[in-house]
Amino acid sequence: MEASTVRTPRVGSSLAPPGPGARLAEGFLGPIRNALRTAGDIGVFVGRTLIELGGVWRYSAEILRQAGILIAGSAVIVCFMVFLMGVVCGTEANYVLRGYGATVYSGVFTSYCMVREMIPHMFGYILSAKVGCGLCAEIGAMRIQDEIDAMESMGLNPLRYVVATRLVAGWLVLPFFFILATASGFAALYLIIVVQIGEVSQGGWEHVHWAFSTPADFFYSFLRVMVTGTVILLLGMYYGYRASGGPIGVGTATAKSMILNLVLLHFILAGMTMMIWGLNPNAPIGG
Amino acid sequence: MFVFSFGAPGMQATNITAIFGTVDRMGAFDVMASVRELSGWINGMVIAGVGGTAICADLGARKVREELDAISVLGLDPVREIVTPRFLALGVMTPLMNLVAVVISLTGCWVADIVVWGETTGGFLATFTSNFSLPDFLGAVLRSIGVGFIVAIACCYKGMYVKGGAQGVGRAVNQAVVIAFAGIWAFSNLFTATMLAAFPETGNLH
Repeated sequence: MEASTVRTPRVGSSLAPPGPGARLAEGFLGPIRNALRTAGDIGVFVGRTLIELGGVWRYSAEILRQAGILIAGSAVIVCFMVFLMGVVCGTEANYVLRGYGATVYSGVFTSYCMVREMIPHMFGYILSAKVGCGLCAEIGAMRIQDEIDAMESMGLNPLRYVVATRLVAGWLVLPFFFILATASGFAALYLIIVVQIGEVSQGGWEHVHWAFSTPADFFYSFLRVMVTGTVILLLGMYYGYRASGGPIGVGTATAKSMILNLVLLHFILAGMTMMIWGLNPNAPIGG
Repeated sequence: MFVFSFGAPGMQATNITAIFGTVDRMGAFDVMASVRELSGWINGMVIAGVGGTAICADLGARKVREELDAISVLGLDPVREIVTPRFLALGVMTPLMNLVAVVISLTGCWVADIVVWGETTGGFLATFTSNFSLPDFLGAVLRSIGVGFIVAIACCYKGMYVKGGAQGVGRAVNQAVVIAFAGIWAFSNLFTATMLAAFPETGNLH
């Protein structure tokens, strides 16, 4: 039967259409109910994926292959975007601090801007755009073309072979991405502050920058990258895994994963900023 | 509608977030950062992530179902009929959403400054009004118009030239977002650098 001819039974009176009050209530409750349902579904998906991590080492070749795909496809764009972020931080550091008459302290701004905030943010943006959407499109296409059902019927657990391997591959690759991207971001800072604008000497900038970047900052930044990266990978794969409705379905699933990733990313990073640094900026200056 | 309903919460989350981290300076700094930098990119990225992906998926689906070819057969130009309205719509909507983003991000700054850091509202408003200049405002609007056009072009192009079924649509959306993000960032960097150089007074703290 055509989907449009199927009538769902109305709640309450069987013949009369629902009154305005009922429709209003449905308008408010429907989205909440759907959001909760999706959240529960995501929770089940994530939980089952984490359980499958136990047996994923059987497919270590597939893990390495996926890691290779990630490196070949995403390393350049991640470094490029963090480079642009460094350009922004450098420019703003110089111009904002010029207003205070403290351009010499550009290093403070660049350290806080890049290491603490913007590298994790930029990582999140570009991971959700390139990797999250990419996984969603790839797995969504597998779902639409019944490849995932085929795997299931062959006795191969797709959650383990498709999802868990990609998650582990992401974990393998992200630390190296973080190092590379940090390096390219710092190169951009150097180019902008010392070479292009040139109000601070190289020694002056490096001294202040490294005085304000502690190993703990790098560690927390890395932690934030790993947490957001895990969330992004899992959400992208969730929407791909649950894609339905032909090519259009894959497109809308990709768009949905993008939106949810962007929103969640900011909530997570805001929460972590408050938790880690909060009201104690841990700066090597007085009191 | 989807864009509008999602833009606000997305941006609110964004801005409050980003701003909580950098509140070592006072209101003026927050204002400059949020008007000149944050609301511009974040707005652009949310528009690209929500509106752009939807447009790309929609156009890709039309391409796959050969609706675009059908339009050409009818003697209509798909670029004029389908791309141009979306291009103009994003160009109009992005600056409007940018203004909303500025207001929301300023609210985020205000919450961070007053509630968390114990500043005064009077001081915040005083530094805000003395630093918020016309070039800042016009620059923000002009930049977001450009950002909207970049998103529209990247997403429409990728959507119209989809190849190969479901996989193709997914890949097109993915590439469109990446291109739009890179374009937004490159464009806003150039724009901000040019604006700061052309109007040095916008860079000063008054």
